[in-house]
Amino acid sequence: MKKGKVLVVDDEEAIRKAVRRALSSRGFAVEVAADGEEAIGAARTFDPDLVILDLNLPELDGLAVCRHLRAWSAVPILVLSVREDEADKVAALDLGADDYLTKPFGVDELMARVRALLRRTGGQGTPGPFRFNDGDLSIDLSSHTIARGGAEIHLTKTEWSLVEALAQHPGKLLTHGWLLDRVWGNGYEGDVDVLRVFVSQLRRKIEEDPRRPRIVVTDPGIGYRWLLRPSEPPD
Amino acid sequence: MAFVAGTITGTRGRMPPRLARLTIRRPRRRLAGYLVATVGTAALTAALLPFRNGLAPLSKGFGYLVIVVAAAAIGGLGPGILASLLSFLTFNFFFLPPYNSFIIGSGEDIVVLFVFLGLSILISAALARASERAEAAEAREAGLAGLQELSALLVALGAGDGSYDAVLARVGALFGFSSVTLALDEASGPLGDPGMEMALSVGGRSLGRLTLRGERPPLSDAEGRVLRAFSDQLAVVAERDRLSKAAMEAQVYRETDHLRRSLLAAVSHDLRSPLAAIKASVTDLLGEDAEHSPDDLREALESVNDETDRLASMIANLLDMSRIEGGILRARVQGVDLGEVLSECVDRALRRWPGLSISLNVDDDAAGVRADPLFLDRVVANLLENAAKAATESGTRGIEVEAHRDPDDATVVVAVIDHGRGVAPELRRDLFVAFYQVDRRNSHVGTGLGLAICKGFLALMSGAIWVDETVGGGATFRFSLPLAVGSLTGGSLSA
Repeated sequence: MKKGKVLVVDDEEAIRKAVRRALSSRGFAVEVAADGEEAIGAARTFDPDLVILDLNLPELDGLAVCRHLRAWSAVPILVLSVREDEADKVAALDLGADDYLTKPFGVDELMARVRALLRRTGGQGTPGPFRFNDGDLSIDLSSHTIARGGAEIHLTKTEWSLVEALAQHPGKLLTHGWLLDRVWGNGYEGDVDVLRVFVSQLRRKIEEDPRRPRIVVTDPGIGYRWLLRPSEPPD
Repeated sequence: MAFVAGTITGTRGRMPPRLARLTIRRPRRRLAGYLVATVGTAALTAALLPFRNGLAPLSKGFGYLVIVVAAAAIGGLGPGILASLLSFLTFNFFFLPPYNSFIIGSGEDIVVLFVFLGLSILISAALARASERAEAAEAREAGLAGLQELSALLVALGAGDGSYDAVLARVGALFGFSSVTLALDEASGPLGDPGMEMALSVGGRSLGRLTLRGERPPLSDAEGRVLRAFSDQLAVVAERDRLSKAAMEAQVYRETDHLRRSLLAAVSHDLRSPLAAIKASVTDLLGEDAEHSPDDLREALESVNDETDRLASMIANLLDMSRIEGGILRARVQGVDLGEVLSECVDRALRRWPGLSISLNVDDDAAGVRADPLFLDRVVANLLENAAKAATESGTRGIEVEAHRDPDDATVVVAVIDHGRGVAPELRRDLFVAFYQVDRRNSHVGTGLGLAICKGFLALMSGAIWVDETVGGGATFRFSLPLAVGSLTGGSLSA
């Protein structure tokens, strides 16, 4: 039973093969495409659960493919690129990509992102993740309890909203804008500083070493990720 | 106030043109006027004396008027007045009774005499003024003509011509200076002989100075005006040249900067791609969460191997290119066994691309060339890499390498022939420019440096490279090298 269907789009044959190998040996069904035209065609016929898309494609470029796909599909898109600059990432995310990986990348990073994007979020009849354990830290979203080494940790109402927003999409990149909207609602979209302050407060409460966060991790200039895996897989 | 009597030599020992001449001749004319006044009066007196009793006073008077007019016309106001006074006294002494004395006998004669004096002075003044005006007009005209000529010369100077020598020489010739030099502010040279200096400035900013040296009288107003006008124009032209040069440098900088940025982007992409494939393959195998079949294993390891080769090749190319561009490469040209080098390259290529078939054919009379063995190797390696890619992409698999002697001159031509997609005619010329890529698909061409490097190396060995279409489709890259004369003894000949 396959874990999911993934479409891999890259103009370099060596990368297509490597990613296909990594995914199929981990139980995914994989289709490949070498350029934008092929990608759009394959998306329609293969109907993938996830698209891994290189931004540097010949002719029809990656960002354009993104735009095309988004016009008729909500399929999660993970973009690959050699460029690390923020502008590139922001452009891709603005056009509808869901996450971003810089080449060269390790397959472990790739799989973490893939799983995060394929995980179904709550609100579709399937329960979202709600229990997390990491060493002596335990988190229960349904009862709103956090404890480390048995000692309870108290979070404010806003801090809980933030935890929920993050924890319901483990591993997934959540942009500043998305988080601000989820937690604070309209009118706060531009206030990244507010978000930063709250994240910093949260880290001081739940991270073992707030200066080296392992639970709430920053994607510089873009957003944050919740890196704890749920104790009970949602599906 | 020195002036030189006689000819003043310009830059070539001939009389300087009108404007200078006008200034130079004025003092001489004045002297001439005085001479006319004195000598003329004496001569006329001597001539008329015998007829003293026969002529009426007025008739004798007219003669002196002629002298006055002549003196004034030639020498200006001074001589005119002198002539008037001399005539007045002479006429009184010699021709008004009582003769040979200054006493005037009749009242009528007094009137006549003083009328004569007044008239001659008035005439002198009027003539002098008219003469001055005419001279001034002439000077203005000469000045304008001179200025016009100099302006035309200045305007004809293109931006960046750099040298104003021709114009400055003309200035010297026009004004009778032996040398005219321009010193712009940036250039601070030795002062040399002091001469007349004119400061150049534009919009209040001082640009430099014009130094005029030579033996000639001080400049007249007219000359001064012309020179001033010219130096102002010169200042503007010098400023324009300076700005134009700065603009060009800025343009060059912008283009270089742009090129550098796109180079960096291209190189970054092309170097990271093989690295990405390697990292992905290796971490895949290292991952504990996966089941890998033996085929997967083999494929992954082969991929790592191939991509490492590709990376090594790209890095070698980049280093070669930077050395070629830095001009620090020296070709060690010697007699080289072409067959040996080609055959080694072909063997390496077959190891790297085992699916291809590469044939090699070296004519007997093309066996030896004068080349740097390392450069030759790189050229052939690059061409084979391109041919291999073309062959693999199009699935044609066959490549031929041939070497033969060019019958027309003492060179050997080597051809690397593939049957792939070929190169469109309009693109063939640009192919050898660094980083040019036929289309983005060819990003496997490895930063697009290979052909530029071939060209660079061949140039260092007195060779050339070009591309033609293969009969039936495909690209044939040919390069030439000088034939080695004499025998090759398994390696190097003395250069």
